[in-house]
Amino acid sequence: MLRPERMRRLLIAAPKGEIDTIIGELYRHNVYHIEDFVPESESAEALSIGHPLPGASDVASALNDVRAIENACGINPDSVEVREKLPASKVREMIRTDLPAILEEVKGLVATRSRLEARQKEHEQRAKELEPFAAVPLDLDLYHGYARFTVFTGHIAHDVSIDVPHEKYFSDRVDGNMIVVVVQNEYREQVERTLLDAGFQAIAVPEGTGSPADNQKAHIAEAQSASTEIAEVNEKIAGIRERHTDFLVACDELLTAEVERAEAPLRFATTEETFITEGWVPDDRADRIRQALEKVTNGRIYIEELEVDDAARVPVEYENPSFASPTQVLIDLYARPRYSELDPTLMVAIVFPIFFGLILGDVGYGAILLALSLGLRKFLKGDEGRMLLKVLSYASISSIVFGILYSEFFGFALPWPPLIFSRHLNIGGEAGGHGPQVVELMILSIWIGILHITLGRILGMVNSRKFHHGKHAKKAVIANAGWLGTMWGILILIWSFYAIPMMPDLTGFPVAIAVGVVLLVAGVIGIAQENALEIVELPTIISHVLSYARLVAVGLSSVAIAMVINFIAIGMLIEPQLEAITPVGVIIIIFGILVFLVGQTLNLALGILGGGLHSLRLHYVEFFTKFYKGGGIKYNPFGMKSKFTEE
Amino acid sequence: MVDFGTAELTLEMIQASQLGMKAIGAGLAVGLTGIASGIAEMAIGSAAVGATAENRDVFGLVLLLTVIPETIVIFGLVVALLLLF
Repeated sequence: MLRPERMRRLLIAAPKGEIDTIIGELYRHNVYHIEDFVPESESAEALSIGHPLPGASDVASALNDVRAIENACGINPDSVEVREKLPASKVREMIRTDLPAILEEVKGLVATRSRLEARQKEHEQRAKELEPFAAVPLDLDLYHGYARFTVFTGHIAHDVSIDVPHEKYFSDRVDGNMIVVVVQNEYREQVERTLLDAGFQAIAVPEGTGSPADNQKAHIAEAQSASTEIAEVNEKIAGIRERHTDFLVACDELLTAEVERAEAPLRFATTEETFITEGWVPDDRADRIRQALEKVTNGRIYIEELEVDDAARVPVEYENPSFASPTQVLIDLYARPRYSELDPTLMVAIVFPIFFGLILGDVGYGAILLALSLGLRKFLKGDEGRMLLKVLSYASISSIVFGILYSEFFGFALPWPPLIFSRHLNIGGEAGGHGPQVVELMILSIWIGILHITLGRILGMVNSRKFHHGKHAKKAVIANAGWLGTMWGILILIWSFYAIPMMPDLTGFPVAIAVGVVLLVAGVIGIAQENALEIVELPTIISHVLSYARLVAVGLSSVAIAMVINFIAIGMLIEPQLEAITPVGVIIIIFGILVFLVGQTLNLALGILGGGLHSLRLHYVEFFTKFYKGGGIKYNPFGMKSKFTEE
Repeated sequence: MVDFGTAELTLEMIQASQLGMKAIGAGLAVGLTGIASGIAEMAIGSAAVGATAENRDVFGLVLLLTVIPETIVIFGLVVALLLLF
C-alpha cells in the first residue's frame, strides 16, 4: 500500500550441470525477475553470455510451425476460452505424433487456397477485359489477321462520323463507350486523328476465338467455381480450427515456455564450468524460492542476497488492496512508479470515482454504465481491458450515488429534491425549486482543488526526501513547502479582502493580511532557493486550482444537454401530440422517441469521455505533477501462468 | 419619420436588454474559448496521433497533452456560468 512491493536481490551461482534443473525450478515459481547480464569489455574475469540449452532450435522451429497453423486458421490464443487443461505429457506426445500431420494438411490447404485465389483473380481480370467487346457483335477472331486493313478498338467520349470508306461499331452500353472501326491502311492516320480528337483511348483485343460474350460468360463461370472451391477450402480450415484449437493453443503455450526456458542462459553470465545470474524476487517469496532451489539441486548451488544499491534498477510491482488494483492500469498509462517513490494507486482508486460521479452524477447513466461494464466483461479477454472495466464499474457506482444526491435521472428530476447542491437548470421553463446552485458548486469544486493540491504537495515533500540525498533533499522539501505556503498565502489574502460564501470570511481581521503576506513571501523565497526559474511557474498555482472548476462545468454541460434533449423530445414533440392522437401525430411521437434515444446515447458517450478524461486529467496534470515522477522498470518474472496445460 | 435616437426606453426594456447582453457575453465566452481550445488542440492532436503511430506506449501521455488546452474552454464555461447565474 502506497509503496511498491519490496524486492530482494539474489545472486545465484551453480555448476553448469544444474542449469536445466535451476531454470525449470525458477520458471515454475514464476517470481524471479532476471537482470540481463551485460558483458563489460574491460572486465578482467572470463565471464561471457551463456549458450541456449541443447534442442532450443528444434523447439523454436516447432513453435514457428504452431504459430503458422494458428495464423492460417485465425486462432488467437489470447481470446480462446479455456475448456480443459491438457496434461503437458500428452501435449508433448501429440506434438510428436499429430502436429506434423496437421501442419501438412494446413500447409496443403493454404497452398490450394492461394492457387485458387490466383485463378479466380485471373479469370475475373479476363472477364473484365472482355466486357467492352461483348457489347460489339463481332467474334474475337475477326479483329486480327488483316494485311490491308487497320482495326481500331477502344473507349471514346462520343460517337464520331468518319468520312472515308469504313466499317464502324459503336456502343454506349459499357463504361466509357466502345468503338470499333475498320479502315483500309491508307486512311489509317486520318481516321486515327479523327478518333483522337473525340478522346479515343485504345484498348488491346483479348486473345481467343468466338463470341466475346460467350468467352466472358465462361471466364465468369470459372471465377465462380474457383470461389466456391475457396469456400470449401475455408470450410476445411474452419473444421481444423474447430477440431484442433484446444490442442494448438496448448502447444503454443507449452512450446513458448520451452523456448523461454531454453533461451534463458542467454541472459546469464557463464564461465567454463559455472553460471551466474542476478535477479529480483519479492521480499515475501525470497526464502521459499531459496529453499526450493537448494532442495532440487541437493545443495549444489550458491545463493547470496545482495544489497540494493541503486533503487533505479529495482523492478517495480504494485502492492495494493484488491479493490484498488484495477486502477493500476490508469497509473501504468501515465508511468509505473519508481521503486523508491509513493505509489499513488490507492489515492487515485478512491478519488477518481468520486470525480467521475461529481461530473456524471445521474442514476440513469450510472446504471447503464454499470450494466455495460459488467456485460462487456464477457467479451473483453485481455487483462488490461478487464481492469479498465472494473474501474468503469466503480466509477458508475459512484455516478449512481451522486445521481441520487443530485436527484437526476437522464436529466429528469427524481421524486426528491437534490440532497446536496442542485444542478437542475431552467430549461423549458418548468424547473421548480431554487434553480441550479452554480456558485455553490463552483466553490465546492475549488475546495476540492485546494485540498487535492495540498495533498499532492505534502506527498511531494515525502517523495523529494526519497529522490534526493543530503542537502538537495532538504532544498526540495522546502521548495514543496514553499509552493504550499504560496498557495495558502494567496488564499488567505483573497479571503481577507473578499467575503466568499462557503469560505472563511477574514475581512474583519487585519492580522490575516499580515499572515497571508508572510506565507506568500516565505513561500516564494522557499521556491526560489531551489531554483529561481521556478518563479515563472507561480501563475499555475491559480490556474491549477481553478482547473478543478471543470468538475462542475463539464457536469453542468452534460446536464444541460440531457435536459435539452428531454425538452425537445418530450416537451416539444411527444406531449403536444398526446392530447389528440392523429396519424401524423403518431409519426411525430415516434420521431420524438428517436430523438430521445439518439440524443441520450450521444450524451452518455460524451459523459463517459467527459467524466473519465477530465477526472483522469485532473489526476495526471494537477495532482501528479506535484509529487509523482514515475518511470520504474516493470516487474516481469521469469515464468508463465499456464492457462491451457498442466504438468 | 420615427426618430429611433429618442425612442423612450422603459425600465423593463433596459432590464431585458441587459439580460440579453449577459447571454451574448456568456455565448461569446464559451464560443471564443472553444475556438481557441480547438486551435490549440489541433496541432497537439495531430502530433499525438503521429507519435502514437510510432510508439503505442506514449498513448496515455499524448492523450494527456492533447486535453491540456481544454482548460481554456473550461475557464470560458466557468465565466459563462457565473454570468448567467
